[in-house]
Amino acid sequence: MSAAFRYEFLMQVRKRSMWLANGAIVLLLGLLSARSLGDVLDDPAAKATMASTAVLVNLILPVGYGCFLADRLVRDDRLGVAAILDATPASAAGRLAGKYLGSCAAAAVPLAIVYFGFAALYAATAGRPVALGWAAALFAVVILPAVLFVGAFALVVPLLIPAPLFRVLFVGYWFWGNAISPAAMPTLASSLVTPIGSYPLEVFFGVDLAGPEPGALFNFLRPEATAATALLSIGVLLALATLVLSAAPALRARITR
Amino acid sequence: MRIEISGLTKTYKGKVPALDGLDLLVPTGMFGLLGANGAGKTTLMRILAGLLRPTSGDVRIGGNDVTSRAGRQAVQRVLGYLPQDLGVYPDLSAREFLDYVGLLKGIDDRATRRRRVGELLEVVALTSEADRRLRGYSGGMRRRVGIAQALLADPRLLIVDEPTAGLDPEERIRFRTLLSQLAGERTVLLSTHIVDDIAQTCRELAVLAKGRLVFRGTVEDLTRRADRRVWSVVTAGPAPSGGTIVSALPVEGGLRYRVVAATAPTLDAESLSPNLEDGYLALSQPGPVEDAMRP
Repeated sequence: MSAAFRYEFLMQVRKRSMWLANGAIVLLLGLLSARSLGDVLDDPAAKATMASTAVLVNLILPVGYGCFLADRLVRDDRLGVAAILDATPASAAGRLAGKYLGSCAAAAVPLAIVYFGFAALYAATAGRPVALGWAAALFAVVILPAVLFVGAFALVVPLLIPAPLFRVLFVGYWFWGNAISPAAMPTLASSLVTPIGSYPLEVFFGVDLAGPEPGALFNFLRPEATAATALLSIGVLLALATLVLSAAPALRARITR
Repeated sequence: MRIEISGLTKTYKGKVPALDGLDLLVPTGMFGLLGANGAGKTTLMRILAGLLRPTSGDVRIGGNDVTSRAGRQAVQRVLGYLPQDLGVYPDLSAREFLDYVGLLKGIDDRATRRRRVGELLEVVALTSEADRRLRGYSGGMRRRVGIAQALLADPRLLIVDEPTAGLDPEERIRFRTLLSQLAGERTVLLSTHIVDDIAQTCRELAVLAKGRLVFRGTVEDLTRRADRRVWSVVTAGPAPSGGTIVSALPVEGGLRYRVVAATAPTLDAESLSPNLEDGYLALSQPGPVEDAMRP
């Protein structure tokens, strides 16, 4: 597993396109929020500032890394490397886990640079070093589960449908399932399975994003926001990621045998 | 390490069998597998490497049943495999790619792995290019990386599928020599449609056609299949018919054809000594398969 992790990570962080795509998204975000940036950096509420930044990061950047990760598993067959790797005694499950974690780690690097870069800037300008602590907590509880969730689907679903189609569907799903209010239309947003982390954001960091919406569809997925349901939400996202990953060997066998 | 295959059949979904009840015994040493494109060679190689499950039949390598998971893993621990459709990661250098495969093959000690990778880069003459990304490598250079990865863990069983495709003449000769040197205590299964590669390296071989074994014996046995069937015809007119034309060489007064045919194609045809290629072509000419199977 460690070999696959190490080399998948290495190959991905070397991709210029990954840095260009993330750079473009961050630049766009910076331009859109340039006016309010001064106010944000002066805001003494470190926890709220870091939480709202995490929401923004988690809402926008997964579009980039979700699309980017979409060919990481299928490309082994496309490139013709899979036969060499499959003929080694290394376990297929271990290689898959290593590839998955290496991909996710590589996707998390630009996120960490952007997020902790902003946190450091804020901590210095507002004189609130505690922001770095909040940033670390938000990264672990909100941003990383989203990376692991998106990474699993981005790796595995293109075994079923072409990667370009996955990218289109993923972008549509991402905004539908995270950004649209349940009051406006039926959506999975603000539920336990919302990858931007509505429940932990609300319960642990005070962002009003989770819980039942009167009259909305899928309210069975929107229990009251409590510490237990916040942890449950993280657990459900990770369990779904594991479930999807566990289907990968069978899906690959369907293609290669 | 013997390979014992009996009743091996592989049928891809909704297609004709790629392998059809194949029985074959491959002894230790160098062994050639010859056949036209689509004969089933690659399917057989992939089954032996543990990449494909057979539809039915038995395959044992060194006593391990490759249709079982444990057997496959046991074989893969001693296997070096060079696939026909070889690919590499363009974002890695040759040294990194070999290091990665070395790790997957269980060469855990870093110093051992680095030394082995260095030795093999030397063997395939890529030391000076070893730290360049594979993206910029030519097809022949990638093939050499593929050869190096197959040899990484000092395999007791080496399965090479069309290994010389894309290599220049010097590289081909060097690789063939290397394979012969490696044979000895190992089993080296060389699959190719290039007859000369077999002629220069193997004593024994099998020929597949449409998923079936049509010949198994020595190079001399196969060559003898074309005894009194190889002819030289010089003509300025139309090409001789009724046989398989092996070559056509421009000479004074027309073209000199080398023809494999059961009877002389023309009255003035001159009989020639056969070579392995002639023997291989003679197999595909009308005649009972049973006769071809007899050594």
